[in-house]
Amino acid sequence: MEEAQVIGLLVRRCVGGDPAAWEEIVQRYHRRIYSLCYRFAGDSENAQDLTQEVFIKMYRTLKTYDAAKGAFMTWVTTITRNLLVDHFRKSKGDRLTDSLDTTSSDHEDAQPLSEQIADQGLAPDQAVRGREAREMVHFALQKLSPELREAVILRDLQDMDYREIATALRVPEGTVKSRINRGRAELARLLQRTYKQVI
Amino acid sequence: MPGETKHGMECSEFDALLLEALDDGGLSGIRKEAFEAHRRVCPVCGPMFTEVEAGKQWLRTLALERVEPPLHLVHNILAATSGVPSSRPLNVTAGGKTPVGERMRQWWDSFFSPTAAFVRQPRFVMSFGMIFFTFSLALNFAGVKASDMAKVDLRPTAVRHAYYDAQIKVVKYYDNIRFVYEIESKVRELKKANAPDESNTPQQKENRKNDTSGQPEQKQDRNYSREENETVLAGLTERLDEVVPCRQAARCELPGSSTLLAGTANQIDGGPVAKKVFAVMSEATNRRLV
Repeated sequence: MEEAQVIGLLVRRCVGGDPAAWEEIVQRYHRRIYSLCYRFAGDSENAQDLTQEVFIKMYRTLKTYDAAKGAFMTWVTTITRNLLVDHFRKSKGDRLTDSLDTTSSDHEDAQPLSEQIADQGLAPDQAVRGREAREMVHFALQKLSPELREAVILRDLQDMDYREIATALRVPEGTVKSRINRGRAELARLLQRTYKQVI
Repeated sequence: MPGETKHGMECSEFDALLLEALDDGGLSGIRKEAFEAHRRVCPVCGPMFTEVEAGKQWLRTLALERVEPPLHLVHNILAATSGVPSSRPLNVTAGGKTPVGERMRQWWDSFFSPTAAFVRQPRFVMSFGMIFFTFSLALNFAGVKASDMAKVDLRPTAVRHAYYDAQIKVVKYYDNIRFVYEIESKVRELKKANAPDESNTPQQKENRKNDTSGQPEQKQDRNYSREENETVLAGLTERLDEVVPCRQAARCELPGSSTLLAGTANQIDGGPVAKKVFAVMSEATNRRLV
């Protein structure tokens, strides 16, 4: 039985009131959704809250899911993305992409963004590989604007194709590609300034 | 400049082919040659290609890291949605086995649960330490040693017997005290009742004649009566050092008081106080009769 058929069956059972089917759905997708929320939100606490919100919304709107309109994962990603965007619009953390030489505050002598990242106190040769390097990339990812961040996360971390991303983000495929390009380039500029070297 | 055609390819076209060149296995044929030629020549698209490729490499390192959700996340989600608890155990991962590190962490977390963390606060730790120190000092001054505790019989039957013995002692003490107070109250009543009769002694009459203070006679009688009574009581107190048994001696003036005292003394379970009371009362009775 294909994955789509299994999910369709689980959804029908869940809508019919089978709690075991709902638990199976949660077990299948909570890891992926949590990962998406964690990469987008940047910390575990917010990621847990957002993941719970995603599943609460899923549980309430599960009967509206139509398998003919798209894959279940795309539908779930759309819900997640909408909640993430809403969350960051409400919070003060929402911002446009920071330029490398702009500062996060209005003071002229404030540290540029690239120097803020470099303040982690890690030597480049130690941080290229390993956990510290991943933490640096994760930190730099939070500096991207939500539009670029969600595009690169869905493409490079969630391994979704352009069409699925376009459906989830409700934008044209060309826009998705452009955002992925810009997001990757912005991230590389941030990290290049940090390490003072070209990868 | 963007939009400029270099080697048969515009920058916008280069931008559109960029992901295809990096993600989708690369370009081929004429398109690849044009793409590479434009990348080498264009001052905008060349660096951009490098940055996008570098960004992709960075994100690939991040993709290698597996983000593990908290163990209780599924349970929290189910509690917030269906309300039905999970049928799977909390500490079992998808592979069916719990890593040793995870089990250690759970053990550590369980040890430092919120309740334990509350008790572990420095102020409580200090209080517990001071209590222990105080008890140790007190036991040390009292001469109690740890080796003595080994001699204490802590068997359930022994503890039960000790409890019953202590209860018997308390009940006996309470009954004796109650009896003494009852006798005392009776003596007080008798003393009040006998006070007018005692005022008619010859000595009192003589004192009344010599009295020139002008005070009411009845009051004087009451005072004299009290003084006389105090003399008797003082004499008795010297022997027993107890006021209560002495007052009970007054009851001996009543008919059949010896029989009453003997009967009540038998009711007392051989207590030392009751025996003293009985002895004093009998002696006082004999003296009065003589």
